[in-house]
Amino acid sequence: MSAPNESLDRRRFLKVVGITGAGTAALSGCSTDQVEKLIPYLVQSQDQVPSLPTIYASTCTECAAGCGLHVKTREARAIKLEGNPDHPVNAGTLCSRGQAALQGLYNPDRVAGPRGRNAAGKLTEILWNEAIDQLAAAVKAAGNRVAVISGAGAGTFDDLLSQWVAAVGGKLVRYQAFGHEPVRLASRKVFGADELPIHDFSQAKYILSFGADFLETWLAPVENQRGFANAHGFDGSGMAKFVYVGPRMSLTGINADQWVAPNPGSEASLALGLANAVLNTRTDVPADAAVLKPMLAEYGLDRVAADTGLAPVQIRQLFDEFASVGPSLVMAGGVGLQHRGAADLCAAVNILNYVAGNVGRSVKFGGGVTTGDGYGALLDLERSMAAGEIDVLIVHEANPLYSVPKQGGFRSAFEKVKLTVSTSLFFDDTAAASDLLMPNLHSLERWDDARPRAGVRGLLQPVMEPVFKGAATGDVLLQVAKKVGGALAGFSAPTYEAHLKSVWADLGRARGATDLEAFWRGALAKGGIFEPAPAAPPVRLAATAGEVSGAKPALDGDGEFIFSPYPSSMYHDGRGANRPWLLENPDPVTKITWQSWVELHPETARELDVREGEFVRLTSPAGSVEAAVYVYPGIRRDVVAMPLGLGHLENGRFAKGRGVNALDAIGAADGQGFLPYLSTRVKLEKTGHYRKVAKTEGNPRELGRGITEAMPLAAAVKGLTVKQAYEAAGHPSHEINTELEVEAIEGFRESQLEKRKLGAYALTEPQWGMAIDLGRCTGCSACVTACYAENNIPYVGEEEVLRGRELSWMRIERYFEGGDDGRPISARVIPMLCQHCDNAPCEPVCPVYAAYHTPDGLNGQVYNRCVGTRYCANNCPYKVRYFNWYAYAKKAFPEPLNLQLNPDVTVRARGIMEKCTFCVQRIRGAQHQARLEDRGLRDGDVITACAQACPSGAITFGDMTNPDHRVVKAAKNHRGYHVLEEVNVRPAVTYLAKVVPGSEA
Amino acid sequence: MTATTHDPSRPAMTHAEVTRDIVNTLRTPSRGYYMALFAAIGMFLIGAATFVALLKEGLGLAGYNPPVFWSVYITTFVFWVGIGHAGTLISAILFLFRSPWRTAVYRSTEAMTVFAVMTAGLFPIIHIGRQWIFYWLLPYPNQRWLWPNFKSPLIWDVFAISTYLTVSTTFLVVGLVPDIAAVRDKMTGWRKKLYGALSIGWTGADSQWRHYSRGYLYLAALATPLVLSVHSVVSWDFAMSVIPGWHGTIFAPYFVAGAIYSGIGMVLTLVIPLRRVLKIEHMITEYHFDNLAKLTLLTGTILFYAYGMEYFVAWYSGNTFEQETFWRRAFGPQWWSGWTMIICNAFVSQLLWFRKIRRNLTSLFVISIFINIGMWFERYVIITSSLSNDFLPFAWGQMNPTWADWGILVGSFGWFGMYFLLFARTFPVVAIQEIKEMIPMPRRKGGAH
Amino acid sequence: MAKTVSGVLASFKYEDSAVDAIKGLKAKGFKDLTVYSAAPNHHIDEALDQPVSWVRAFTLIGAMTGCAAGFGMSIWMAADWPLLVGGKPIVAIPPFVVLGFELTILYGALSTVAGILILSAMKSLKGRAYKPEFSDDTIGLFVPCSPEQRGAVRTFLEGTGPEEVTEHGA
Repeated sequence: MSAPNESLDRRRFLKVVGITGAGTAALSGCSTDQVEKLIPYLVQSQDQVPSLPTIYASTCTECAAGCGLHVKTREARAIKLEGNPDHPVNAGTLCSRGQAALQGLYNPDRVAGPRGRNAAGKLTEILWNEAIDQLAAAVKAAGNRVAVISGAGAGTFDDLLSQWVAAVGGKLVRYQAFGHEPVRLASRKVFGADELPIHDFSQAKYILSFGADFLETWLAPVENQRGFANAHGFDGSGMAKFVYVGPRMSLTGINADQWVAPNPGSEASLALGLANAVLNTRTDVPADAAVLKPMLAEYGLDRVAADTGLAPVQIRQLFDEFASVGPSLVMAGGVGLQHRGAADLCAAVNILNYVAGNVGRSVKFGGGVTTGDGYGALLDLERSMAAGEIDVLIVHEANPLYSVPKQGGFRSAFEKVKLTVSTSLFFDDTAAASDLLMPNLHSLERWDDARPRAGVRGLLQPVMEPVFKGAATGDVLLQVAKKVGGALAGFSAPTYEAHLKSVWADLGRARGATDLEAFWRGALAKGGIFEPAPAAPPVRLAATAGEVSGAKPALDGDGEFIFSPYPSSMYHDGRGANRPWLLENPDPVTKITWQSWVELHPETARELDVREGEFVRLTSPAGSVEAAVYVYPGIRRDVVAMPLGLGHLENGRFAKGRGVNALDAIGAADGQGFLPYLSTRVKLEKTGHYRKVAKTEGNPRELGRGITEAMPLAAAVKGLTVKQAYEAAGHPSHEINTELEVEAIEGFRESQLEKRKLGAYALTEPQWGMAIDLGRCTGCSACVTACYAENNIPYVGEEEVLRGRELSWMRIERYFEGGDDGRPISARVIPMLCQHCDNAPCEPVCPVYAAYHTPDGLNGQVYNRCVGTRYCANNCPYKVRYFNWYAYAKKAFPEPLNLQLNPDVTVRARGIMEKCTFCVQRIRGAQHQARLEDRGLRDGDVITACAQACPSGAITFGDMTNPDHRVVKAAKNHRGYHVLEEVNVRPAVTYLAKVVPGSEA
Repeated sequence: MTATTHDPSRPAMTHAEVTRDIVNTLRTPSRGYYMALFAAIGMFLIGAATFVALLKEGLGLAGYNPPVFWSVYITTFVFWVGIGHAGTLISAILFLFRSPWRTAVYRSTEAMTVFAVMTAGLFPIIHIGRQWIFYWLLPYPNQRWLWPNFKSPLIWDVFAISTYLTVSTTFLVVGLVPDIAAVRDKMTGWRKKLYGALSIGWTGADSQWRHYSRGYLYLAALATPLVLSVHSVVSWDFAMSVIPGWHGTIFAPYFVAGAIYSGIGMVLTLVIPLRRVLKIEHMITEYHFDNLAKLTLLTGTILFYAYGMEYFVAWYSGNTFEQETFWRRAFGPQWWSGWTMIICNAFVSQLLWFRKIRRNLTSLFVISIFINIGMWFERYVIITSSLSNDFLPFAWGQMNPTWADWGILVGSFGWFGMYFLLFARTFPVVAIQEIKEMIPMPRRKGGAH
Repeated sequence: MAKTVSGVLASFKYEDSAVDAIKGLKAKGFKDLTVYSAAPNHHIDEALDQPVSWVRAFTLIGAMTGCAAGFGMSIWMAADWPLLVGGKPIVAIPPFVVLGFELTILYGALSTVAGILILSAMKSLKGRAYKPEFSDDTIGLFVPCSPEQRGAVRTFLEGTGPEEVTEHGA
């Protein structure tokens, strides 16, 4: 913040206003020291009005799903990523990882330009033409001894790359750490279709997942979540039941209505048993399924019970339920349950889907979705590298030195290669070991396209000047081709951009476009071309379909516990590990930030006599890791689990040396074409070392306070309110006040309402409100990241999280239910943000009116008036006010991360209170726009960042005084309730009770 | 002086002896005094250094752990405000009640009051996030005509504390003037000049006494409701909130009783050594301590009742939030603080039922230390334990004090001790003129009246 | 140094002697006596019997002003910058009672002190003889009178049993 005595002359004032879009920062006396090297517009660009955002359509490259983006730029800088509403995959929403791509773009640890090894073998700055010459020379010399490892998904670049590699006769391995190879293998085996299916939740009445973490990393999480919310959320008439099968409850698992934990490895048996049950009970099974009868007949109740170790009655219940309800949707093949039998499990699930008649309805083939050649191909390449058959290795959009377990020989094989080239944007584990760094441009800085599935071609376009001196790898390939000539002479395109445009010109012609420029511009504006997938012939059982075994897969080692490394919804395969937004956003299940942990079942913890935070050592034949214990009731007793994605040797200031890499404890051995993550037994021992776990949770139970309400489907269908549902179930409701008291309270309120009508408070303004449907919310925390991005919320770091000082305006509270009282363990989630109470307790206690009520019903917080008494935070029943104990914002945005800051939102100074504003900057923006267009506000004009991002559409926002706003209908829903209603603070946020299948909540 | 022998409130001395003995307390101090003074200054410097660090780095240095947004600083603030109350109670309320035993001790307790409130007054500034604009809490005309929010208990605080400081200071100074005159007339050289100036021309003429006595009476009458109001206002900082454990109607009387209890505790801690150092044992006798102890017993017992009532109401209300809060207060992660408060205040005070203990200065001194500790913890418990577990369990959290918390706490004792010690050597700690008022002047014709 | 007032100064160790002297002088028609004592002494007050002090007027007026100021300030300032907090009325009397009360006490106390100073200062003691022991254990009695009367006064006072009698003034 600027020194108090600093004179604010006119020019400085204009600078500040120029950079912040609004005068606020100038008055607030903070964030002005971010103002440096300002270049005024000499020639005003046409499509850019200062203080008005320009939005570009693009495509997300953070995972293989290929979601569409709307990139919000201000004064030629990307400041926020949102989903592209026209895009068929994500339909306008975006997950945390996708939004955090911005922190990749502005990451302070990006490789700033080409680097080569000097005589001393140290990486030093070189020029691009030197780098290209070096690569070209090497490629020329290497002949066909060239290999490329590429994580790039299908698209024009991938095509170019494969042609390029083919031309030199080298090897191309398309490798993604989370490649879901088992799913693909199973498709091949059962249906002869070499692809990943696309899942349509919309029609499913019964959802069954065998370890598929479809809300986290499995295939297209955002699309899955939208579909799941539509199917599983209560729509007024009914909902789908969701059963999760796996050794531990992942984020997907805690959203299940029932958690089934069979012996790890025996899931296939259960799936085949279900298929058998369907075959025996249903009449509408496809005719050709009959061939499976003998094979399935083995999986009767007894066999399944013996394999899974589940109670026969539970299996019977599953059999009956599944066989009776349809259409259903069964999924399998999550990384967390990727044991050596994973391919069989997925095959069994394919069969199950087939006999249940889901194939072609909820499980669709013909999308042509692939995730490359997979782990098996990588290991083949490793062998030839080790054999010295590779002279030049180019690693593109992959980090094998991290994602391949150390125990294998990949690193040594890598070091055998004469010239290793990394195109990584970041100085990651692989780049650090490479000889030549040729950093690619970030996906927001370059031209490209993506073909995630048939019919969907997303475009990527540069939305701003490159932040660093990278070069598009496409251009690098072309220029190398020119230098090498010979076999590569064919690559004549001057630039990759030109190549891309020519490809799209062909697409245009193929679609009979007369004006190709218009076609191109149209596609750019829309984000690509989105067409229905070409009709594929329905898949039928392949000959190999019967060769599915439910046999138990082998486990290495003789430890007492089965080790299950699972994918983190934030760090993914490790690419999220250097992004503060993802590190500080707590894990949706454990609520732990910034660290690795080991999950133990409470009884296991008791046996080992360890408490949360105590370190244990996991030892397996492959190696050992140490991490702090987190006692988790949602895991099998014989399993210990650990999130993947941390424990990097390099990869930037935030990731380096943070946490441990769970892969260090598993073998790298191939499991028939994929890496078997769950394949190791480990021994556990106390290390005696302790460190408090930096989790944002105070108490995991809600102590019957009715914070996250839920009602049985039976009651919901009858249209009962939460209170009525309780009474119907014979439970006392959570009402504290008697009828008389309520009457008195109401009467008093009326009189107060009259007395406060003064000046601006005549209640003529809109009254903003929000409704959150807990039936749809999954706790994925995309809203949290969106809030951080929109509102310039600084991360505080592990040490401060330990003191509970995180500033997440929007937080997801997760409460466990049951587990210790005979009821099965389950969890409920509730997004908690400022409730903008009508009788806000925080307002009257502020001695300087920094907290006050705006005429349009917001609970305003005036940063520059706040002196920091913190009384408001004490008096907030929801504890959604956050204090700047230090000047967090000063260190949270190391350059160039600060370029991401939203100019419309003040960067808060030290010593003041901050909180959710209902995105007041968006409200005002929409109001100004409406005024310019001389019209009133329409529903949907104002969408808060959280509501915009929510993949399950759980959040609605609008004017409570305007009956045709959706939020009003939502708030009037019979499931609606206010958290802590008895405190009588009149929140503006209405929650809709979760609905659980059956007649018991 | 046969009349005085059986009245313990009147020292068996002549006016001349009174003047002599008290003026003697102002002569060159002992080594012990200087050591104490330097210790106090040292402690104050620790506090000052800590404050500089807070200004430079931010409040994050202290052990705050949301939802505990207030902790040691507000605790210590309430502690010192409370201390103040005994002084005004003894000097004003007991003055109106004409209770004879107050005379010998009221000057020192009044001084304690002023310095305690001076100390407390620092905390609202120390604890806020942007200390450099604390004055925004005052209703001063600024160019944008922004006013404070008079609905906020914190603003009530600002007014209550500043009023209290002003009035108690006035009361102290007014009481001092005749004594300063008496000292002036015994002194020589520059000291005579200094005290002469301070005595603002006091001669003890009838025309002065006439207005003085009346005015003093009215000051006492005004100070009496004030002392009761100030800690009520402080208690409303908590009672006006919605937080379980704070939101209680019992708070005002509860806090006032606690304040007086703690104040007398501090009086005992200060006066017991003081009378020895200043050699005025014959003026402040066990008779006075006995009475102080009785007052302690009374207020301590009120506290006992209040504690019991808090728990009873929590249970009887059926309010789950209240119940959880009080359960955790006794058996939660910081159970030790809860029990420290109950044992030191409710139980230890009950020892004073025994005359032996009341009249034994050693035991009284030990008990007074317990009271000081207990009352600091009472505020610590009320503030932090109520905050650490309120409505939403997910947001619960425990605070752990850091060096920054202790630094300021130590500093506040230094700051207070510094002033008190300087006062004790500069001004009469026993009210000369009021003692004399109680000792009848000799009569030629003899006989009492 | 103001010029000394002409008169006779007597000092008494014994209360009753002083009282006799005062009574005697008043009987002789000496109204403007000045009696010095180390502590308020009700025998002397009786002997002098003067009307009750006017300090109370100051106290009352001050207190009333304070009360008005307290309420006035809070009401006006709340209305001058009308912001809604916690759904309470903009001008809410209950909380303002605290302000009214505090300022009542504050103004009351300050004006009382002012009263003491002003009223005491109204009777100038400049030039009247004074001895240090008056603040210790001696009662002083100063009788202002013309040089001619001094002799008579002196002889009277010596009759009442003083420690010492001295004449002052030119």
